[in-house]
Amino acid sequence: MTKQGGPSYFSSWLSAHATQIITGLIVVVSFILVVPPLLIIVRGAVVDVDAQGWSLNLHRLSFIISQKNFIPSIIHTLAFACGSSVIALLLGGFSAFLVARTNAPFKILTHITSLMSLGTPYVLYVSAWLSVLNKSGPINSLWRAWTGSSQLLFDVYSLSGMILIEGLLWSPLAFLLLSTSFRYANPDFEEAALISGASQRHVLMRITAPLAAPAILALILLIFIRCLEAFEVPSLVGLPGKVHVLTTDVFEYINRTMPPDIDSGNAVALILLALVIILLMIYRVLTRHRGSYATLSGKNFRPRMIDLGRGRSLAGGWLCLNFLCVVIIPFAMLVWLSLSPFYAPVSWAGLQRLTLVHFEHILHSERYLALIGNTFLLSTISASVVMIFAALSSFLIVRNHKGAVLIDLLASLPLGFPGIVLAVGVMQVFLALPIGIYGSIWIIIWAFCIAYLPYGLRYCVAGMMHIHSEIEEAAIMSGAHMFDVLRRITLPLLVPSLIAGWTFIFLVSTRALSVPIILSGAGSQTIALAMFDLWGNGQSPELAALGLMWGAATGILAYFLHRITEKTGLGLRA
Amino acid sequence: MQYVNNTRKALIFAAYLAMSVLPLRAQAVDQSLIDAAQKEGRVVWYTTQIIDQLARPLAEAFTRTYGIKVDYVRADSNEVALRLLNEGKAGRVQADVFDGTAAVAALKRDHLVMQWLPPHTKDLPADFYDPEGYWVATNLYVLTLGYNTDAVPANKVPHHFEDLLDPQWKGKMVWNTSHSSSAAPGFIGVVLASMGEEKGRAYLKALSAQNIASLSVAARQVLDQVIAGEYSIALNIFNNHALISAAKGAPSQWQALDNTMATFSVISATAQAPHPHAAKLFIDFAISHEGQAIYRDADYIPIDPAIAPRHPELRPNGVDFKATYFTPERLDANMPKWYALYREYFE
Repeated sequence: MTKQGGPSYFSSWLSAHATQIITGLIVVVSFILVVPPLLIIVRGAVVDVDAQGWSLNLHRLSFIISQKNFIPSIIHTLAFACGSSVIALLLGGFSAFLVARTNAPFKILTHITSLMSLGTPYVLYVSAWLSVLNKSGPINSLWRAWTGSSQLLFDVYSLSGMILIEGLLWSPLAFLLLSTSFRYANPDFEEAALISGASQRHVLMRITAPLAAPAILALILLIFIRCLEAFEVPSLVGLPGKVHVLTTDVFEYINRTMPPDIDSGNAVALILLALVIILLMIYRVLTRHRGSYATLSGKNFRPRMIDLGRGRSLAGGWLCLNFLCVVIIPFAMLVWLSLSPFYAPVSWAGLQRLTLVHFEHILHSERYLALIGNTFLLSTISASVVMIFAALSSFLIVRNHKGAVLIDLLASLPLGFPGIVLAVGVMQVFLALPIGIYGSIWIIIWAFCIAYLPYGLRYCVAGMMHIHSEIEEAAIMSGAHMFDVLRRITLPLLVPSLIAGWTFIFLVSTRALSVPIILSGAGSQTIALAMFDLWGNGQSPELAALGLMWGAATGILAYFLHRITEKTGLGLRA
Repeated sequence: MQYVNNTRKALIFAAYLAMSVLPLRAQAVDQSLIDAAQKEGRVVWYTTQIIDQLARPLAEAFTRTYGIKVDYVRADSNEVALRLLNEGKAGRVQADVFDGTAAVAALKRDHLVMQWLPPHTKDLPADFYDPEGYWVATNLYVLTLGYNTDAVPANKVPHHFEDLLDPQWKGKMVWNTSHSSSAAPGFIGVVLASMGEEKGRAYLKALSAQNIASLSVAARQVLDQVIAGEYSIALNIFNNHALISAAKGAPSQWQALDNTMATFSVISATAQAPHPHAAKLFIDFAISHEGQAIYRDADYIPIDPAIAPRHPELRPNGVDFKATYFTPERLDANMPKWYALYREYFE
């Protein structure tokens, strides 16, 4: 790649082979992480092992496919994932655009929105929304009081209820990912168009939107796949309304026998994996021409802020509405719940019963302190490991280096691993190996790294696509080594994506349940497990109190991270 | 360090005190077992019990008494079974003791359970331990109907299975769908046990027309939904939960129908327990008078006849209300059929 060697033979060799070395390392690491659980899933789904050896066995798969509810499940799954990603994208994407590219007021609300809602455990967030929308919730109660009818205004236990809540749940992710991408928008193209007489709207439609297209596509893919795998909403909202999706099928297949039939879970997981692989292939075809999306060249990349004029207050209104829907309503419900002595609907009578006793319990409990320590430790390590790995991988993928396709595939496969299936796979791997990390926090970190690798990667790929290779090429022409280029140019430019991805992985791993519930030992319990305990014990009010405090703490932490990126000049101007 | 030493001294002193104050239990346990257990120093307990309510108080009391540390890991019975199965298959068992209502029956088949019963067992009614010697019960669960007292007036409360067929309850009843006794399959089981196969099926068919809502959450949350007013009646919930919530002022109450299901939370040691003596000592402690008092204080129904529950009315006495007892083996043997019936009639 470069003829200008370093001072010593070794460093010139290193420099000449830098990409091969990095590629090799990344391939090996992703192989070690992803392939063992993948093999366990495939083996569990379609292989029988007995005294005679191995044999292919398709009866589990064919049994599942032949069930009368299989086709409806697939249809519901796809409809649910489509609907939810559209809602998440509309809510989060539009807000991201307003925040990153316009002079709309109240931008800070959107950051608070995304960070607080990502820090709240799903089960809490979903049940808060259910309390708002269900039969005895304020919306239907008010409707009945107003119209005098006994009918419901909205039946939340339905496909549309699922889509609404899941969409709200993921809109903060859409916001975080897209605002990073919008921030990279190159002002030059837009200014050129404006100077040539194009209208603001024209610029938006013909330049800004197409340039953001790969990021939007990457995001749709991510959210779509995440919705394919979503479990909380389908189980809490869908099942009572008899709407089945693939993940609730996994759960039912696993749990309809004792001991649980993890192999049937593996078989459904295999179907999910196939869906994910098809989606990834479509995505690759759609984003073949990556080079044409690079907006970050050697020049200044501060995005141009669009003056909304009279639309400014409208935009502000939108951001406030978003804040109201995604944060205020569910959090108000949680506040109500956390102050109630028991799980009670909102009512005047309930006002007299309110109490602070649940907050006192939590503040006086030593157990929570230890759990918070564990949770922070394992989320920090997982997020850091994943982002370092993802940064290097995305570099190779976006620059189309040899082996990139393999890395992309390996690192994206975990999108198709349902949590419990992955956890059991990782458990089996480490029980079979003579490495004593089973039961420690390290096995949880290992599983988290696998589970969140695809997310870290999507964040970085979206960011990397905007960095034009000409900056790196210029440095190499001037005699820099590949490692220097990465360390001093590419990675610093990628910092906003890295921090956004880190924050996301940190937050989702603090609230993840299905992995720690299988893998944690006595000394490696997490806060999500304590929340699960409270939930299982009917202590929803104490759970709400803990969830609120936890949401606030992670929200503040994430906010400071965001301020740091802002100070470096790479972040988003709020 | 000084603090640690003092704590240890205090613990040893407390253990000494406890043992001298309770000579009965000190005699009941073999001293050589205590010595061997103390040498092991630690016991790992996979539990389905709620930590704050029972797991921690029991663990702490055990540590106070014997100076042996208890490491507990909490999960639902399915996850506990998954862990034990995989650890067992890999030959790297971490757990010494586990509990649950049905999993032991399946784990027994895979030779993962230790065949051992503590000396205390002989004081218990015969139903309360495994005749093959793999488990002993620690507490009783009684599954009844739970209802919202604001939504169901006292004179309308159902007392018989037939009452649930009343059109006024259509769309107002709820249960959970898990593969468990505290769910729809358990209710179906008790219906079949009470009415027999033919009548039972006819009843279930009629009941399916009542459009019972199916949730995929634990029995405790099913009751919470009823308390919140989403539904009026919860089928097959733990009767002590209704009482605990009522004590906090919630509009909840329980009612036994013609027959109720009683299940046991049972405790066992694993066959390959890394600390087998500590495991035995811990199990013995759980069913001792002291251990049983902790179950009582957590508002559970102890199995020890000498330790009355805080609310004796929760325990079926055959007069006020009747119950059919389901051992882990009976649950395990019948669950597939009950679940299939659930799917046939209610899905």
